[in-house]
Amino acid sequence: MFKLALKNILFYKGRSIATAVLTFVSTMLFILYISLQDGSHNSMLENSLKIYTGAIEIYRKDYRDIGGNEYLIQDVKVITDKLEKIDAIEEYSPRYETYGLLSNKEYSAASMVAGIEPNKERVLSSLKSALIEGSFLDDGSANCIYMGAELLKKLKLGIGDEVAFIGSASDGSFAADMLRVCGVFKTGSFEFDSSTSFVARSYFDELMNAKNRASYITLKLKNIEDADKVNEQIISMLDDENLESLTWKTLMKSMVEIMEIDSVFGYISLSLFMVVIFFVIMIYGFVNVSSRIKEFGVLRCIGLSKRNIFLLLFYEIALLSIFATLLATPIAAYICYYYNINPIVIDGIADMYKDYGIVSDEITFDYNLFTIGWNVGVIYLLNFLSILYPYMYINSFRPIEATRHV
Amino acid sequence: MGKIVVVIFIFMAHLIGDEAHEIIKKLDENFRGKNIYMKLNMKIVSMGHERVMKMQSYSQGTKKSFVKIIYPPKDEGITFLSLDREMWQYVPKIERIIKIPPSMMLQKWMGSDITNDDMVKQSSIVEDYEPKIIKREGSVVTIELTPKENAPVVWGKITLNIDTTTYTSHKDIFYDEEGKEVRYFIYKDVKKVGNYYIPTYWMVQSSDTEGRYTEMILEEVEYDTKISEEYFTKSALKRFSK
Repeated sequence: MFKLALKNILFYKGRSIATAVLTFVSTMLFILYISLQDGSHNSMLENSLKIYTGAIEIYRKDYRDIGGNEYLIQDVKVITDKLEKIDAIEEYSPRYETYGLLSNKEYSAASMVAGIEPNKERVLSSLKSALIEGSFLDDGSANCIYMGAELLKKLKLGIGDEVAFIGSASDGSFAADMLRVCGVFKTGSFEFDSSTSFVARSYFDELMNAKNRASYITLKLKNIEDADKVNEQIISMLDDENLESLTWKTLMKSMVEIMEIDSVFGYISLSLFMVVIFFVIMIYGFVNVSSRIKEFGVLRCIGLSKRNIFLLLFYEIALLSIFATLLATPIAAYICYYYNINPIVIDGIADMYKDYGIVSDEITFDYNLFTIGWNVGVIYLLNFLSILYPYMYINSFRPIEATRHV
Repeated sequence: MGKIVVVIFIFMAHLIGDEAHEIIKKLDENFRGKNIYMKLNMKIVSMGHERVMKMQSYSQGTKKSFVKIIYPPKDEGITFLSLDREMWQYVPKIERIIKIPPSMMLQKWMGSDITNDDMVKQSSIVEDYEPKIIKREGSVVTIELTPKENAPVVWGKITLNIDTTTYTSHKDIFYDEEGKEVRYFIYKDVKKVGNYYIPTYWMVQSSDTEGRYTEMILEEVEYDTKISEEYFTKSALKRFSK
């Protein structure tokens, strides 16, 4: 049957070329589309994670829903001692966040002021690389404040200016001090840049009476793909029902949901295209089979079974699909690989989508062999499905009747 | 006959509406007099921890008030001034007068369960809400306050349980715009001071938070005394801080 299938492919050149070209195009398109979609999602996520959110964050329960000093982590050291033992963690740091009032002589604005460990944040986040003026904080920075560019603009401040901070300390008492603007950052996220500022923890701990307390502990992993696995390990290690350890999927639920919705719409539009491709291949197959009814009748009369006929069609489509995908896959994979390393740059795209945390004008393709593998698998499956109807059509004829078909 | 019934109904509704307005007005008068001086202790209880503050408060009418923290020593000398619906704060440590921006008005005041907004919008129960009597039980009347159209308020509804023998409230419940109970005030130990009645124990608690509440006990109350106008100027923030 295999040899006969090969002969048929060579004999019906037009049909074979059309099927192979369609399979080639759809394979290329499918791989590139999914790669682009996954690449932009990964890029969105990486950008957001790079700015400030950790791959995993540990909270005291209800801090995220209710907030306030009552829900601070009270003994940070106990937790960080346990985190030290987990190899998959690249870096971690406790952060103390509070909402307070920043005020110069004329203007005031509410701001989230976070006490951070600057040297660790160089690894954990992109706060340092978002610096646009002045300098980033050091672990020993005293009353230096590192302020978002939009907040700085709102308060009409400049580098070296003084700004008053008032807020509630971790014990509920009143906290106030004069801070000096040492650095300005711009991440591209307007909301973040207009409402956030940072000070060194060593200084903030004294002011807020927050030593060994934290709003949460943020973690960076050696490999973000391990987030779920490491999270389970952390939960079992902490063994404290008052604490919760959450991965970026929960922390950035809204972004994950946006990405999922985007993926669904992407798959819907792509599947419409695939349906068209499927029907075109099927119609080509059907037209071809219709013109070969007499041939199939003769084959059945000389003793070929229905199963043999199915095998014949199966081999034909399998050979054409293999040929087309063997050609398309390396080309598509190379394009994905190339644009994964050298992203396409479209000026202004970050500005347009800054609210979604996109901080780069680069459009990256994803290069993942597993994804490419299942993409090719789907095309194969569609091609095999496309022979079912023509096969059923042939079987609707009795062998003698088929031999007389004109 | 039908017309007479309608006229009587409208007349009764008008009377009930007027009564509700009258009760709220008397309640508000009891809370402020022409002017009022209070020395009060505030105890903030949260997850087993307690924090005590003492302060002096001077109010005149519905638009002016001045508060000075006198205890603990760490916070001593912090002053607040409310004029109309604006609020300023002076912090001795940084020697700055700071205007509280509108975005901070719902933040907790000094870590307690009352907000900055509560400090400046006390008058709004008379001006911004429409009262309606919804229940009577002996001398206690339950009045529901709903915001007037375009009133700059944060609550969707407030219910007050008012004792009409003293025109003081036993319990105020605050609801959000969706009708969900958010917090409540409980008042006890009503005392007569001059011509006015005032509860000397106030307690405020969020409805969804257990183990956290703020108590206020009025140690001294003086009505209709001569409070200098100087208290209600921005320069007072610094001057009376010492």
